[in-house]
Amino acid sequence: MINEYTPNFIKIKEIIKETNNTNTYVFNLSKETLNQDFSWNPGQFMMVGVFGIGESAISISNVEKDYVVNLTIRNVGNVTNKILNMKKGDSIGIRGPYGTGWPLEKLKGNDIVIVAGGMGLAPLRGVIKFVNDNRSEYNDLEIIYGARNPEDMIFKYDFKMWKKIKNCTLHLTADSITEKPLFECQTGLVTSCFPNMKTHHRNAIALICGPEIMMRYAAKCLETIGYGDNQIYLSLERRMKCGIGKCGHCQIGRKFVCKHGPVFNYADIKPFINPL
Amino acid sequence: MNAYVVEKSSLHILIDRFLKDYRIFGPTKPGADSTFEEITSIKELHLDYISTILPPKKYFHPPRETLFSFEIKNGKIKTNEIKKDDKIILFGIHPCDVHAILKLDKLFSGEINDTYYQSRRENTVIVALNCIETSEHSFCSSMGTGPFLNEGFDLLLTDIGTKYLIEIGTKTGNSLIEGLNLIPSKQADYDEKEKRLKLMEKKFKKYVNISWQSKIASKNINHEVWLDLGERGGVACSFPCLSCGSCTFVCPTCYCYDIYDTMDLSMKSGKRIRELDSCQLLEYASVALNQNYRQDRKDRIRHWMMCKFGAAAGEMNSSCVGCGRCIRICPSKIDITEVAKELKQR
Repeated sequence: MINEYTPNFIKIKEIIKETNNTNTYVFNLSKETLNQDFSWNPGQFMMVGVFGIGESAISISNVEKDYVVNLTIRNVGNVTNKILNMKKGDSIGIRGPYGTGWPLEKLKGNDIVIVAGGMGLAPLRGVIKFVNDNRSEYNDLEIIYGARNPEDMIFKYDFKMWKKIKNCTLHLTADSITEKPLFECQTGLVTSCFPNMKTHHRNAIALICGPEIMMRYAAKCLETIGYGDNQIYLSLERRMKCGIGKCGHCQIGRKFVCKHGPVFNYADIKPFINPL
Repeated sequence: MNAYVVEKSSLHILIDRFLKDYRIFGPTKPGADSTFEEITSIKELHLDYISTILPPKKYFHPPRETLFSFEIKNGKIKTNEIKKDDKIILFGIHPCDVHAILKLDKLFSGEINDTYYQSRRENTVIVALNCIETSEHSFCSSMGTGPFLNEGFDLLLTDIGTKYLIEIGTKTGNSLIEGLNLIPSKQADYDEKEKRLKLMEKKFKKYVNISWQSKIASKNINHEVWLDLGERGGVACSFPCLSCGSCTFVCPTCYCYDIYDTMDLSMKSGKRIRELDSCQLLEYASVALNQNYRQDRKDRIRHWMMCKFGAAAGEMNSSCVGCGRCIRICPSKIDITEVAKELKQR
């Protein structure tokens, strides 16, 4: 029987600096290092741990060919603080991937609206890449990304490429702008971009990820525009200890976020995230 | 399968036989309360118990256990799994507790198995004991988990006066008593069991109607009962919840646990430990950047009650079995059966 609780030690292959307190770590998760075949869906997460400190759930921000996996980590707690101080070649305990991921099949033939806030872009980056790779199967793509300020944005180096994707609109917005950024960026919350959307709600599906308060408002605003509950998908954050639907911490309603999620249809979880 | 009877005075032949191959854990009474402990002779066993404070969950899902230890040497990390697979017999556990174990079995298996739980479970034999007395707190008859057992046992004992009726549930159970020359049971023994079951069902003081429970609980997530329980004045003469977490620790179906690391003083080796956690504690749902998804006490008590009504993520695998331990232990005198009634009435 495989013991799911023991992590694999995997060396950091490369570190890409994103912002002051955020890095993207590149790992090689081949069969030799992970002890099992690595297959993933955009939106899934890995349990990343430092011995002596603990583990946290980190979403997969991209998988390049040959099982080269990117995990984007911001320094917000004990584990992530330790990881941010690590160097290339250091080992990290990794297990996973866990969770279900975004409903890529359902998106086929629809317009896709991606709404991301801050670190919430990490699990959605895989979707953008996937849609770009299979461009003919999907309709228009609209990316709305907001952060506290332009410097806090992650994957800035991807923006140019995303703009070039066929039938793709990129809206970038920041709560406040102090220094003029290198890319086009407006001021305001993500919801302030909704009136300028090019896609129509009739055959669009919205994918939202960000801080929970932002997701609540974004989902509500989309509802007022005309989106139905089942046209909206959210990726939730919860405290997780096991990642395999046993420890109980991540429960929301009748679901485990780690096992049934972290991506949920808005209709399923609406009563549990709405009381503000 | 065949059934046997054994005189109460010669029950020791069972225990002596079992002790040859197994460690036995059963109800003892060291003080005013009963508790499950290891026994080495029949003298320590106290089978006329009503209920224990802690459920037998502790043998499969211990309050604290080491998942593995690790060593850091020259920048390399080595892990050692620690596994002890003692063969044990749980002797004399009541139907509600057996049902709770069956529920946990489902929860810890599925697509991904919990190897620690599973290996302990596989090495356990259950010798259950039907209830002939009820506590003032229990309500297993209305939950369908007692007072008599139909499933989940290897051997099942029923007190029928001066004798115990022994029924066999599995092959393991059969092999346990093979060759002991027990007296085969007669129809009269079964009649006596049936009579005691009918008598027993009239003894319960608490009832819950579970058919509408989970539906009503998830429909009214903003029900004022939760506010009463959490902040205002409690329900049916109880005090408001104190968030002490006692109910979760004595509950036979509460499974939530925390995982954390401890380091040795040398900082070169350590252990990854799993420990029972409680959804009633503030830290349970807290995440980075000072966010907490169940900040208010009413949210936490609601979550626990919903879980016990089968309306949380554990579904029926973590729902109530009616043992009444939480009612007995609660310092605020919160009674889950009263909460259920209030939910329906208001």
